[in-house]
Amino acid sequence: MPALLLFAFVVLAPSARGVYYAFTDWDGLSRDFSFVGLGNFSDMLGDADARQAVWHTLLIAVAITVVQNAVGLALALGVNSAIRSRNLLRVFLFAPAVVTPIVTAYLWRNLLGPDGAVNSLLGAVGLDSWEQDWLGDPDLALWAVVGVVVWQFAGYSMVIFLAGLQSVPKEIHEAAAMDGAGPVRRFWSVTRPLLAPALTINLMLSIIGGIKLFDQVHALTGGGPGHATDTISTLIYKDAFTLGEFGYSIALAVVLTIIVAVASTGQYLLLSRNEKAAS
Amino acid sequence: MKTRTPMTLVAAVTAAALLAACSGGTKASDSGGGSKTLTLASIDQGSVEDVVKAFEKANPGVKVRYTTSGADQYQQQIRTQLSSGTAPDVVSVWPGDGNPGATYVLAEPGYLRDLSDQLWAAKLPDAVKSVAQYEGKTYNAVFGLNGIGAVYNQQAMEKAGLTPPETWTELLAFCRDAKAKGTPAFALGNQDNWVTQLVLYALVATTVYGPDRDFDQKMQAGQATFAKSPWTTAVDKYLTMEKTGCFQKNPLGTNYEASQQLAATGKTLGIVQGNWVIALLKGKNPKGTFTFKALPATDDPSAALIPAAAGAGYGVNAEAKNEEVALKFVNFVMSPEGMNLFVKKQGSLPSLPGTGHEVDPSLTELATFIQDDRTVPFMDQLWPNAKVQQTMLSGLQEIFSGQSTPRELLGDMDTEYKAGS
Repeated sequence: MPALLLFAFVVLAPSARGVYYAFTDWDGLSRDFSFVGLGNFSDMLGDADARQAVWHTLLIAVAITVVQNAVGLALALGVNSAIRSRNLLRVFLFAPAVVTPIVTAYLWRNLLGPDGAVNSLLGAVGLDSWEQDWLGDPDLALWAVVGVVVWQFAGYSMVIFLAGLQSVPKEIHEAAAMDGAGPVRRFWSVTRPLLAPALTINLMLSIIGGIKLFDQVHALTGGGPGHATDTISTLIYKDAFTLGEFGYSIALAVVLTIIVAVASTGQYLLLSRNEKAAS
Repeated sequence: MKTRTPMTLVAAVTAAALLAACSGGTKASDSGGGSKTLTLASIDQGSVEDVVKAFEKANPGVKVRYTTSGADQYQQQIRTQLSSGTAPDVVSVWPGDGNPGATYVLAEPGYLRDLSDQLWAAKLPDAVKSVAQYEGKTYNAVFGLNGIGAVYNQQAMEKAGLTPPETWTELLAFCRDAKAKGTPAFALGNQDNWVTQLVLYALVATTVYGPDRDFDQKMQAGQATFAKSPWTTAVDKYLTMEKTGCFQKNPLGTNYEASQQLAATGKTLGIVQGNWVIALLKGKNPKGTFTFKALPATDDPSAALIPAAAGAGYGVNAEAKNEEVALKFVNFVMSPEGMNLFVKKQGSLPSLPGTGHEVDPSLTELATFIQDDRTVPFMDQLWPNAKVQQTMLSGLQEIFSGQSTPRELLGDMDTEYKAGS
C-alpha cells in the first residue's frame, strides 16, 4: 500500500498532469495558455513530419526486433557450443551493450563518415564500389541507424538467449540424439520450445526499445538528412525544445505511449500463448 | 530554442554552464554595502567574471552579486523572475526576436528600461540597432559581433598557388582550379543541420540585402516573400557552388567536427563558417594561418555585405532596485575597457567602433566591414518564430539529398513566416 501511494505520487500524478498539457497550446514558458481540446491530435494528422516519424519508428522497431534477435540467437548458439574461447567471446560480444548508447553512436558517427573507418576498410579490401555516404544518404541513413543499434544490443539479446539455452537439460538433448534426431531437428523440437520464455523477453525489450529509440538517432543523424531518420522521439524533442511547441510535443508523447502500450501488450499476449502451447 | 548567436558558441557556453551549475550558481563577492550592491544574471560564463572584477575595481564600494547559467536554463528562469518582480538589476538579453529571452519579447511587455539616453546607444551600427532596439528605442547593450564568411587556410592556398576570389565569377573559377588540384575549395559539414545555413546566409547578405537593405521591414509588412525575392538567386548560387565542386564530397555525411579537420589540415583550402571557427582550426593545427574574407556573391566587390550577428547583450530591469549602478554597469560593458575584455575572451569583435581593440590579423576584413557598416544581421534574428529557421535547415538538407527543391523550400519558409509568432 505505501508503495502504491508512492507510485501514485511520484509517477501517476505527474504523468496525468503532463497528459493534461497535451490538450493545451502551452509554449513551455508562459503562464497563460489555453485549452485546445483535441486540436493537437488533429494537427498531427495533417503534419507530414509526424506521419513520416511514425512510419520511421515502425520500420526501425520491426527491423531491430527481427535482426537483433536473429543475430543474438545465432551468437548465443555459437558461444553455447564447445569452442574453446567461448567465455572470451561472450565477454567481447556483450561488451558494447554496457557502453552508453550516446557514446557508441558518436563513435559510429565518425566510423560511418565519408572518410571514416568503414569506407576505408571497404576500400582496403577492394570493395570501393560498396563505399557509401552511410549517414548522409537518405535511403541508407535509417538502416545505418538500425545497424548501429543491432551492433550494440545483439550481445544483450545473446546473453538472454544464452541463459535460456543453458536451462535446456543435457539429458533431453542426449535422449533426442539417441532417438536419432540430427542437430537441426534437435534445435527445432528440443531447444526452440524451451527458449520460448527467453524469446518473449527479448522480443518485448527490443520492440519497446525500437519504438522509443532516441539517443542513437539524435547522435548519429539528428533526424536528418532533412527528416529522413526522424522518429517519434526525436520529433518530440525538436518540437518541445527547438520550436517551443510543448503542448503539441506532449500530445506526440501521449501517442508514443499508446503505441508502446498496444505493441507490448499485444506481443505479450501472443507470445505467452505460444509459451503455454510450447510447454 | 532558436539560434540567435552562433549555435556552437551557445552549445559551448551551455556545456560549460552546466558543469558549473553543479557547483552552485550564485557567486557573491559581497559583505554588505546595501544600496551599492548590484545584482546580475548572465549567460556569458567564462567572460563575465573578468568584466565584473574590472567593474568592481573601477567602482570602489560597489559589489556585484551575479549568477551565470546556460542559455536554455536562463531562458526559463528569466521570464518568471521578470514577471514576478524578482529579477536582478541587469540581465542578459538576446538580440532581435524569437527566443524567450530576446529583446522584442522582453521589451514589449515593458520589462526592460529604455537605454536610448545612454551615450553609446546612438553609436551602434545600423545592423546592430535593428536587433538591439524595439520600436525605435534601444533596450539591449550589445557588445560583441560575429560574422560569416570564407575562412582560408593560408598554407594550403600557397601550396595550391591560389588567392582568395573577390567576385562570383572568380569564386567559381577558384573552385574549379582547387578541385583540379585535388583539394576542394571549401569544407562543408552539412550533417549538422545548423551548418547548412551558413553558405546561404553569406550569399543572401549580398544578393538580397545588397539591393535592398530594408528587406526585413518589407517582409514584416507582408510586402515581400522569400519565394519572390533574390533569396531564390542565393539558393541557386549555393547549388551552383555545389555543382561546380566548391565543396568536398558527401557534405551531408560530414559533420561540423570533420569539416574543421578538413580545413585545418589543408585537405580543403578553406571553409565557409563564422569567425569563431578560427580558434577551433588553430586548435587542430596550431601552425596554420587562417584568414577571414567575405564570400563573393556578385561580380561587384564593392557591393558585398557580410552577415554579422550581434551576440547576446545586457538589458536593465525596468524595476531595478539599484538603477544607478545598473546603468553604470551597462555603460562599463559598452566602454572600450569592458567591451574589449568581453570580446577578447569570447573571440568576437566589438560592436562599437574605436574601442582601440587590437583586431586579430585574421579578422581584419570582418572588422573593416563592421566599421564601414557593411553588415546585415543573421537573417533569422528578425524572423517571427523559430520554425522558419528549422524549416530552412532541414529543407536545405533535403535539397542536398534530392528530396526537395529550392522552390519548395522557400515556399515552406513563407508559410511558416506568415504563421507569425
